[in-house]
Amino acid sequence: MQKRILIPTDFNVESLNTMKRALERVDDGDVEVILFYSEYLSDSITEMLFYNPEKRLNELITPVFEEALTILVNRYEKLCLSVNIELFHYNNGMAFKNYVEAKSIDLVFIPKNYTLSPLKNGFDPIPVMKEANIPLQEVSWENNSEEVYEDSLGYLFI
Amino acid sequence: MKTQFKIALMLILTSLIMLLFFGGSIYYFLYNYSFADFYKRLKTRATIAAQYRFDGDNINTESFKLLREKHLEKLDEEKELVIAINADTTLSDAAKLTNLPISFINNVFKKGLDNLQKEETFYTGIKYHDTDRDYLVIVSAKNNYAFDHLYYMRNIILAAILLVFAIVSYLSLYFSKHIFDPIKNITDKVKEIGSESMHLRIAERYDDNEINRLISTFNDLLNRLETAFEVQKNFIGNASHEFATPLTAIMGEAEVMLMKERSPEEYKQSLKSILEQSDRLTEITQTLLFLAETGYRNKGIETQLLRTDELVWEAKAIIDKLNPNNKIQIDISLLPENPKKLKIYGNKSLLLIAITNILTNASKYSNNKPVNISIASSAENVVIIVTDKGIGIPPSELPFIFDPFFRASNTQTFEGYGIGLPLCRNIIKIHKGQLSLFSTVDVGTTVEIKIPHANIL
Repeated sequence: MQKRILIPTDFNVESLNTMKRALERVDDGDVEVILFYSEYLSDSITEMLFYNPEKRLNELITPVFEEALTILVNRYEKLCLSVNIELFHYNNGMAFKNYVEAKSIDLVFIPKNYTLSPLKNGFDPIPVMKEANIPLQEVSWENNSEEVYEDSLGYLFI
Repeated sequence: MKTQFKIALMLILTSLIMLLFFGGSIYYFLYNYSFADFYKRLKTRATIAAQYRFDGDNINTESFKLLREKHLEKLDEEKELVIAINADTTLSDAAKLTNLPISFINNVFKKGLDNLQKEETFYTGIKYHDTDRDYLVIVSAKNNYAFDHLYYMRNIILAAILLVFAIVSYLSLYFSKHIFDPIKNITDKVKEIGSESMHLRIAERYDDNEINRLISTFNDLLNRLETAFEVQKNFIGNASHEFATPLTAIMGEAEVMLMKERSPEEYKQSLKSILEQSDRLTEITQTLLFLAETGYRNKGIETQLLRTDELVWEAKAIIDKLNPNNKIQIDISLLPENPKKLKIYGNKSLLLIAITNILTNASKYSNNKPVNISIASSAENVVIIVTDKGIGIPPSELPFIFDPFFRASNTQTFEGYGIGLPLCRNIIKIHKGQLSLFSTVDVGTTVEIKIPHANIL
């Protein structure tokens, strides 16, 4: 049976560690991962007129992030991983609950000690997810390095 | 011929052709039109003349004549001829009589109407059929009025063409000269730049046109050249230094030993140290040779199908022999499930040199703290990531770490010659891969190697 997993991301390679840990816990079966990015919609009518989620996603996804994703897909080949990246716009627990139900998502994973750092216009979805009162699986990893350099694949191997 | 004159000439010629065409067509069509009009007038006169001569009775004839004289302007040298064609007077007689070409008379007789221009005189003839015979009525006149107009017009057009031609020539020359000003400036500026003044740049302006793009391309090229120059300069300096140090040590050692008689123990000691220094020299020479080979010979390395994880294990085995205290851990947590995705085409010995070099550096500059080497495979590349917790590289020096013999300022206490990393990068480059380096001082360094898959899926 196909499992649908929702994982929040901020398009930094490090945030994919949630996905890495989550997939470690899934034994087998097909898995569909929904990478979830939350940002406010623009207030401008003209901007909304030409709004296109796919275009927006293409702006957000960096080449490094994409490469890191393919590494994970290669790692968990037997799970027949399919990855969808989706945008979420409501800073509201009920809305998130509805979203999860509507998408029939089986598991929601969130990072325990990694704070998502959303880009401009984005917001951290973790409080919203907690507010929704649905079971969340927390994963954690050690990030003891204080290294601060640009986003690179190295962050996937923490 | 200079480009600017070519452009000017092109402009001038094009506009001249257009002007000539324009003026010529005006003159030609007006010429035709004014004659058509004149022939029409002649025809009217011929018709009227025929009518009052043959149709009207006497009274009417007079009044016709009066009417005509009153209302129809008398044309210059207007003449009318009426010739009766009968058995006595044939068409050729008529031609002789009127001194007009026979073809004209023929045409008038056959078609009933024809026009002719003979020098400045215009002829229109019509055929008129009276009760018993045919008449030819030919009216001739000079069209001085139209000719005057046309001459005047032609002069105006010619004058205008000359004037416009002069203006266009001047403007074309002017513009073609000034359009190349920026390019001339660039040429002048570039001439100033020699090997002694590599720092000079062409001033960039802030509009995005072709010239500016040319300038910035030039400047980029100069930047690269300058860097290459600097590298070359530094390379020679550093290389001689690196060679000189062990040589000095060997010479000093030998000289001190030769000063007086020594015990065999002392000789042994000294020879040992000489041997050590020579080893160092050999090592430098060998690495330099590799560097040269990998740097200049992009084609012709022998490649075979390799498994990246095996390479890494082998590299670790080599380092374990050289430096048993190393704490290199191989991280296979993200190893792809399909082993084929780890295969690359490469030269085994070269890649081993690169990986051991990077691992040795990682261990060396972190004083044998744990070093992590991870292997993974993305959609296109095999990725090897080496992370250490060493001294790092100052950010200002990061751009130079791939220059031969460059050593970061915080590496004084470590032995090394600064040719390892450039060598590694050359090796990865000839495998069409990428070597990137991220570092924070006193925190650690991450080296990322990407080599394209063998694509044998």
